[in-house]
Amino acid sequence: MKYAYFPGCSQSSTAEEYNRSLLAVARALGTMELIEIPDWNCCGATPAAAIVSPTLPTSLAARNLSIARDMGMDEIVAPCAACYKNLRKASHDLNENLELRAQARGTLANRDLGRAPEVRHPLDVIVNDVGLDNIPVKKLLQGLRVACYYGCLLSRPAGGFDDPEYPQSMDRLMEKLGAEAVSWVYKTKCCGGGIYMFHEHVSFSMSADVLVHAKAAGANVVAVGCPFCQLLLDLYQDKLAAIKSTTFNLPIIFFTQLMGLAMDLDRAELGLEKLIVSPFALLAQTVDAPEGTFEKKAPSRAAKLKRWGEA
Amino acid sequence: MFKYGAIHPRYETSPEVEKIVEAVSVCYQCGTCSGSCPVAPAGGMDYTPRTIMRMIQAGMEDEVLSSETVWTCSACYMCAVRCPRDIDITDVMIRLRNLALIRGYPARTGIAHRGKVYNVDFMRIVRKWGRMYEPELVIRYHLKTNPLNLLGMAPVGLKMLLKRKLRLLPELLDGRLEVRGIFYRLEKEEARKEREARKERKE
Repeated sequence: MKYAYFPGCSQSSTAEEYNRSLLAVARALGTMELIEIPDWNCCGATPAAAIVSPTLPTSLAARNLSIARDMGMDEIVAPCAACYKNLRKASHDLNENLELRAQARGTLANRDLGRAPEVRHPLDVIVNDVGLDNIPVKKLLQGLRVACYYGCLLSRPAGGFDDPEYPQSMDRLMEKLGAEAVSWVYKTKCCGGGIYMFHEHVSFSMSADVLVHAKAAGANVVAVGCPFCQLLLDLYQDKLAAIKSTTFNLPIIFFTQLMGLAMDLDRAELGLEKLIVSPFALLAQTVDAPEGTFEKKAPSRAAKLKRWGEA
Repeated sequence: MFKYGAIHPRYETSPEVEKIVEAVSVCYQCGTCSGSCPVAPAGGMDYTPRTIMRMIQAGMEDEVLSSETVWTCSACYMCAVRCPRDIDITDVMIRLRNLALIRGYPARTGIAHRGKVYNVDFMRIVRKWGRMYEPELVIRYHLKTNPLNLLGMAPVGLKMLLKRKLRLLPELLDGRLEVRGIFYRLEKEEARKEREARKERKE
């Protein structure tokens, strides 16, 4: 199926590896064709609604939605969690709220608004459209204990593709890839990415809590689907560790990169070298270790609880 | 709907204020929002979300709009999905930011001020280029708050530069005039609404 692709600003700077790995995975899957929306504009993230009018994000998104509509697309894929939330909310509002629709049309000169396309996250498309059974897993991610970190905007506000409090789609995906998805309570707690520029110590203490809980649940890697979460947990990991007087040494990997590893894609396409906390030592011990190093069976609940106690 | 303006004469009403007051009027102070908030327990808020809800009900406009909370809410929507009264508290916080900007709050120093600078500069860049240009945001923000912090940013910047995670030049959008047009037309529309509201208040 064809989807209009809205990369978002981070995909060409801080999260370039997310963009690269997503495109590589989509190409390899074959059933998920991503066509970039030409000349897309920024969704405005969280600050947009604070400036000018609370409806500014709707108007900014309306331009992108209308270009995608002109391309003849019914669905848009937005990998950045903030873009995903803003576009999804705008698409919903434009289709439901006539007053907002009229206002958005007024702000866009020479552009027509048809029915706004539906906005999806790549995780949603991979789990629900492509289907877990259709992922060509060639190399099981043995030995990886993944803490799936959804952050805030992947599953919230409510009405998205997964449960807002305890989503499961990424966990099921990781188990399909042969990794163990640890169960932990901080999977949808906010990392504070939206306020870290002006309230650094608070957002750092929020992110440090996330990593502490991931570590306590026995994870050796954190999978994310949001560029902000990745940046904060990865780039500042040494500072976060200093706050808690510990070391984390947890690679923060985009879920698409882990998919690429399991599908045995060319590693140069996955951008693993761009992660600040290098995952290569861990990968050599686990995924790239000779087969049979790890038991295939998932650990029992008792084993998980024991690990929790040790941490 | 209650008109809190009647109790507090300084609480100037407008369609924006009414939307907020109406949304919050059903709050029964259970505190689920404060219990779900990740920012408040980390020490990032001067009033918890529950307190802000009560303050809105009590018509404490000055206190609400100059609070740190409206700016330090990280917009994670945890309170909104858990609220038993279905109040979109995150949306209320963001509307309050908007109102604080329109009415000329907050103070010149402190977290509220820094939050305002960050939000305004973020959108100034989007308005100018049509897309985000991170280095300009970081430099602008620090020059306006504490230029010395720029030195502290150097190691992080270098790390990102080495990993080629830093955008050196802004991306040039064909439609950037169109994006500016969106801002411009919406601004005019808002100014018109504010004028009308002011006229109504006088009558």
